[in-house]
Amino acid sequence: MPQIELSQVSYNYPVRDGVSLKAVKNLSFSVERGEFVALVGMNGSGKSTLAKLLNGLFVPTSGTVKIDGLDTSDEANTFEIRKRVGMVFQNPDNQNVATIVEDDVAFGPENLGIERQRIIERVRSALEAVGMSDYAKHSAAKLSGGQKQRVAIAGVLAMQPEIIILDEATAMLDPVGRREVMDVVRKLNEQGITVINITHNMDEAARASRVIALRRGRLAIDGAPEDVFASDLLDACGLTLPPSVSLANELSRRGFDKMNVIDEDGLVEEICKQLR
Amino acid sequence: MQAIEIKNLSFIYSKGTPFEQKALDDINLSVAEGELVGVVGATGSGKSTLIQHLNGLIRVQDKKRASIVVDGMDTSSKKTLRKLRFTVGMVFQYPEYQLFADTVEKDVAFGPKNMKLGAEEINARVRRALDVVGLDYDTFATRSPFDLSGGEKRRVAIAGVIAMQPRILVLDEPVAGLDPAGRAEILDLIGKLKREVSPTVIIVSHSMDDMAQIADRIVALSHGKIVADGSPREVFGKRELVEAAGLELPTATRVADKLIARGVPVKPDVITMAELADELARLKGAKEADNV
Amino acid sequence: MFRDVAFGQYYPTDSAVHRLDARVKLLLTIAYVVSIFFVKGYFGFMVAAALLILTVIVARLPIASVLKSVRGILLIVVIGALLNLFLIKDGDVIAEWGVIVITKKGVHTTIKMVLRLILLISGASLLPLTTTPVELADGLESLMSPLKLIRVPVRDIAMIMSIALRFIPTLFEETTKIMNAQKARGAAIDTGNVFRRIGAMLSVLIPLFISSFRRADELAFALDARCYNATDRRTKMKKMRLRWADAVATVVALAFFTVILLDKYYFGTVGIDIDAMIFGGLL
Repeated sequence: MPQIELSQVSYNYPVRDGVSLKAVKNLSFSVERGEFVALVGMNGSGKSTLAKLLNGLFVPTSGTVKIDGLDTSDEANTFEIRKRVGMVFQNPDNQNVATIVEDDVAFGPENLGIERQRIIERVRSALEAVGMSDYAKHSAAKLSGGQKQRVAIAGVLAMQPEIIILDEATAMLDPVGRREVMDVVRKLNEQGITVINITHNMDEAARASRVIALRRGRLAIDGAPEDVFASDLLDACGLTLPPSVSLANELSRRGFDKMNVIDEDGLVEEICKQLR
Repeated sequence: MQAIEIKNLSFIYSKGTPFEQKALDDINLSVAEGELVGVVGATGSGKSTLIQHLNGLIRVQDKKRASIVVDGMDTSSKKTLRKLRFTVGMVFQYPEYQLFADTVEKDVAFGPKNMKLGAEEINARVRRALDVVGLDYDTFATRSPFDLSGGEKRRVAIAGVIAMQPRILVLDEPVAGLDPAGRAEILDLIGKLKREVSPTVIIVSHSMDDMAQIADRIVALSHGKIVADGSPREVFGKRELVEAAGLELPTATRVADKLIARGVPVKPDVITMAELADELARLKGAKEADNV
Repeated sequence: MFRDVAFGQYYPTDSAVHRLDARVKLLLTIAYVVSIFFVKGYFGFMVAAALLILTVIVARLPIASVLKSVRGILLIVVIGALLNLFLIKDGDVIAEWGVIVITKKGVHTTIKMVLRLILLISGASLLPLTTTPVELADGLESLMSPLKLIRVPVRDIAMIMSIALRFIPTLFEETTKIMNAQKARGAAIDTGNVFRRIGAMLSVLIPLFISSFRRADELAFALDARCYNATDRRTKMKKMRLRWADAVATVVALAFFTVILLDKYYFGTVGIDIDAMIFGGLL
């Protein structure tokens, strides 16, 4: 059984009386345990709606979303699903609920009614996992963007999820913060947590094990980063290539052999090989 | 005449409290009319504080020592404050969050109205501003700014600033949060704004790739001090400085460094992908010629 | 940016006062504020001021942080003082210029009023200065918990309070940003006359409202995603526990309250006037 399974999922937003916006259309795909999926597409392509469908914040208008076989449409499953699917949102300031870092991390486990001593342990290990142990007693307002997002990830980790969804969690960060967050996420993925990273940053997409591109609410491309970057549909999806891939393509137009690279190091390797 | 002349500028937040924090430390900077200056620096390096001084949103703290003259106006002078605000157009981060009127037209007209221009002139400016940012007047003027897409909202917000026809345009992270297509559009737009509306442009950005591409000059800040100031090639040539300031190198420079470390003789001073491609094509051509 | 918000101005020094149980601090602050109203004369004010100064010293707070709260009500103090000074006309006359008459009683009433207000506000300000908003909200929740029996949604109220406190700096920062953006477009927020300023404020309030709603929306998703209201048996990581320091603080406060009450209701009846004993000549 796949960990995440969507079959023929559609979702309509009610806009005003009788009018609705079809944000997601007839979407079917599945994700296995431990995958690192980058979800890309233009603004308005349905990525964020899809994210909210994955943990029952939205329930499909038609079709089914199942997490570990649990149907998100069944209200009895809601909290079990949210426990398993943690979500980190774009704006760190709109998801921290407490003023002090450790109180914020404890919020999820407290809601689940976990026993006090175990909350303390979970908070400690979650903060450790994101490298924020030293800030446990700090005021969240004074942290940098990257630190705030790491605290948000810790808040999700304290609920011991099996899947983490990042909904443009790095969009508002500077390069340093972005790197901090992505390093943490990669580590968590190595420990077996499934990651779904919604992003506009194509370098981030290159580092996923699988890239899914949405276009106008439909699945447009789905494959390994190198396949996606080679796809003719990329332009239509409003996506650009990561700089190193676009340089590789340029070089192959100017005398180099075709390069199959997805990132900087691959590019350097390939250039060295061909110039030797 | 210099467009901007900053002398000995320091700034301390919460002065005289335990939270005292030095944001700017003896900044000296002059910008000539017609320059496109990229201001770079890690978060908290003082970039925002610096640019907010340019139109008097933040006042010079130590007037005895420091001074800022913009387009001939002393920013500390109350008399010219309003004129200063219209001389320096300021596009803040996520400018779409400042939209407030019920139509695009009214929102863009807000600045010119505050300038107390005549109705005809206001209308002409609104039309021109929308045209420059690539939004059709007849299609967009009567629409609500809140019904537009993210990229369109941002362009309306930018139009709202350039409708004042500022001589100096300051943009703080103008492409933040946009999708790749939106980023490219706004970056193209900046060149156009400089040619057609505001001859002097200052951009605050975290993207060294973008800066290498479009800036004439880069000013790097670290802990409130200017640590590097020069052409992108000069600044990115000072690798240790860039690193110490908590900044990245442009992708092309980084790749070139890695290639050099591996023995590929590319020039060390490439800063854009186009240059790097030229370099590599040249090397490839030379190698092919050798082989023949 | 969030720099000088007088409200919720937590001043971290990790002192004994900071570490007191929030519930105890809440109750003691209320007791202090109430007892200020019972203070009869200068002796009482002296004791109250001594207690306040002692607390400020133990809490290692700079006196400026306390006085800052007083600055906020300075106008009220001044107006109140002038009204008292000029409108009280009974008692011995000290000075007289035409219609303006200043009496001895007026002077004393004025001084007492000023002292009362200053002690009241600075005393009350010690609570937010030494207690984090979260501790305060938790303390209130705990103190209100008996109300759960009559079906008051105490937990939700506490949650709303703590979120409100958490968002004050965020909204403050947001307001500054929007204001700057509109000022940069020439909005007459810091220039222009009163009417133009009010008009210009609309250009700030509308975006602020819109962004607040957006934030609220996103926050609601974040709360749901983290299983808020998953169970009625919500637990708490931080348990509030009373310590010796809390007992000591309570005893000190009780002693203070007792002295104030004795001064007001008892000493007078047995012929002791401490004010007269200390300040004899002045009164």
